[in-house]
Amino acid sequence: MKAGMSLDDPSSKRQAYRLKKEENRKELKHVKIDAKASSEKMDLPRKRFYRQRAHSNPFSDHQLEYPLSPDEMDWDRLYPHFVDEATGAMTKEVTIADIGCGFGGLLIDLSPAFADKLILGMEIRVQVTNYVEDRIIALRTNHAETNAYQNINVLRANSMKFLPNFFHKAQLEKMFFCFPDPHFKQRKHKARIITNTLLSEYAYVLKEGGVVYTITDVLDLHEWMVKHLEEHPLFERLSTEWEDQDECVEIMRNATEEGKKVERKKGAKYVACFTRLPTPEIV
Amino acid sequence: MIHPIQSSLATKDGTVLFFVVKNTIHTLRWEEGRGEFVAIGMWVDDADNSDTIKAKVREEQQRQLAENEAKRQKTNDGNSNKPSIKEAKVPVPGQGAPPVFKHIRNMALSRDETLLMACTDSDKALVVFELDYTNAENCLKLRKRQPLPKRPNALTTTTDDKTVLVADKFGDVYALSTKEGVVQEAALEPILGHVSLLTDIVVAKEADGKQLIITADRDEHIRITHYPQTFVINKWLYGSKQFVSTLCLPSWGPNLLFSGGGDSLVHSWNWESGKLLDSLDISEIVEPYLGDAQLAPEKFQNETNSLIEYAVAKVVTFANIPYIAFFVEQTKVVLICRVDPDIGAITLAQKIEMPFNIISLSSALSANLLTLTLDNRDSDDSRFAAFISYDGTEFLVDAEKNNAFEKCVLHKFENDPIVNVEPRDVYPLYHIASLRKRGEHFS
Ligand SMILES: C[S@@+](CC[C@H](N)C(=O)[O-])C[C@H]1O[C@@H](n2cnc3c(N)ncnc32)[C@H](O)[C@@H]1O
Repeated sequence: MKAGMSLDDPSSKRQAYRLKKEENRKELKHVKIDAKASSEKMDLPRKRFYRQRAHSNPFSDHQLEYPLSPDEMDWDRLYPHFVDEATGAMTKEVTIADIGCGFGGLLIDLSPAFADKLILGMEIRVQVTNYVEDRIIALRTNHAETNAYQNINVLRANSMKFLPNFFHKAQLEKMFFCFPDPHFKQRKHKARIITNTLLSEYAYVLKEGGVVYTITDVLDLHEWMVKHLEEHPLFERLSTEWEDQDECVEIMRNATEEGKKVERKKGAKYVACFTRLPTPEIV
Repeated sequence: MIHPIQSSLATKDGTVLFFVVKNTIHTLRWEEGRGEFVAIGMWVDDADNSDTIKAKVREEQQRQLAENEAKRQKTNDGNSNKPSIKEAKVPVPGQGAPPVFKHIRNMALSRDETLLMACTDSDKALVVFELDYTNAENCLKLRKRQPLPKRPNALTTTTDDKTVLVADKFGDVYALSTKEGVVQEAALEPILGHVSLLTDIVVAKEADGKQLIITADRDEHIRITHYPQTFVINKWLYGSKQFVSTLCLPSWGPNLLFSGGGDSLVHSWNWESGKLLDSLDISEIVEPYLGDAQLAPEKFQNETNSLIEYAVAKVVTFANIPYIAFFVEQTKVVLICRVDPDIGAITLAQKIEMPFNIISLSSALSANLLTLTLDNRDSDDSRFAAFISYDGTEFLVDAEKNNAFEKCVLHKFENDPIVNVEPRDVYPLYHIASLRKRGEHFS
């Protein structure tokens, strides 16, 4: 402990809390939680113990773990309920991704709405990822009788660099970009999670007819995302009528932590959705 | 002392050789009958880059003015004191600022060998030269100088030679015409991009003539993208365990690609199927040639100071024989391997040791000739380069050519103030090791 720190110093309390949760996570993360063993309810993690700097630089070399290729990814550890007992193979693959999922609100609301789909959150900040993991562990434990929340999980990943390490071509049906960091200052905006060049990677992992969902409270960013998605030959904007009948749009407007913050401040929310067009004939 | 030669490039038939020393490109012709090299061209990058910097500063000023104007209109405050436009100032490096090296990098020839292209560090520009061998004074005629947003790391041309593809440090690839005419930097849009540093770029041709761009990056990725429809990614080649530093596309193997980098393996791939065909583990082969230069930097060293790190700097091949040649950065040995063109299997054929560390390696594709430039700082101005040729059964050092080259270079450089330097003014010669990722950011 550093000099001048006492035990009831908030940062050391946070330290202790994190340690305890980490042990719990290690123990529970990759085991199937079965109903008999867990009649005891678990507390949901508290966000204030997972605070972290607001930004993580997507260009730097982080201490990240990622598979060499999508074939080498151990999905069974993330979704143990979707493993075939006999063969050990996954019975489903991830088809919905929440890019920069933050504290995980969207995953949790999508889970019952798409009970037969595997949903993955990707988040670059360690503590935030830990929070989502702990949250999912607690939810799974508390709903062990119904096996709820078995279809969602989170990975610490820099999605701007390593998306192709996790997903095959045309694997995804939906990709969410909810309240992405606006990166106001960068002139060329290469740090933004939607750029001309990254859109080609998103188009690669999306299947034809798949959907990119975007929502933000920053008008400038909204216009930027719309402009780039509209310019990209593999995406086409979906109509407001389409948005109005789509249940994900409804969920996305209200589920995420960032969305709730904007709601409290009575801020505007700008939505834009795009479909992945068929790949044209190659010339 | 005479500055070591940083890189070389030969025409396919091996008769013309281009090489870089500091901010100069030199051109020699090999006269087979006389057994001599003759100097036929040269270019010095003496661009006073303050012009380019001024242009950039001016562009930035304009942008900021426009931005402030937009803000002012938004906030609608009546006060319209327009800030005055000052003359753009060129920042002067302060004391202790790192020295400025005007490297020339990444020389490449157009496929028809009528153009030479290179990148300059001074203003991060692509330079294109017409090769006019009828000009007895100088065969290099500068056609254009196109400034780019970030430092270019590799370049190649499309199959019709109309477009140069430049891959940069920021992960972006730009397509630029080989014709005259410079594009405003602000108007340049990348045709594809990685969120990583790009290290190499090649163009492959499918059986039906369609083109694919293959790009390699510092995050282990080799990506294949359609061209000109660069918004359609074809696939990634998975299996590199460390940064990729070099790609090599032979003309003899069906859909073969070789790559090297920081993982002590030389890989062969089928870019059509996406399969990794073979990975030659070079750790035992290069072990005897490693030394202090390969000790990991102190900051990342282990307790026993025994952590070794090395990387393949360059892989090259030939037009008509199924061999590849490569070397590990800061070693003296060039390794030559035979490849089974049908299955991509790589087998070591020969190791040839040089008197000094190898700085660069290039191949005269149809002459079966390798040119190596050497870190001859301790040589008393000898052994600048070495030539290795194939006699039908094996690769041999061509002593006659080595001597002819040395004679020509010494004569040419005798009174050249640019290349005669103090040892402390030698440019950095090794650039690959720094590509290794350190994962310093834990959060
Ligand atoms: C403003 S937050 C929004 C979080 C969440 N989507 C919500 O709506 O509440 C943006 C999140 O994206 C994450 N992020 C930024 N760049 C990322 C990247 N390259 N890969 C993964 N996550 C990233 C940030 O760490 C941050 O948690």
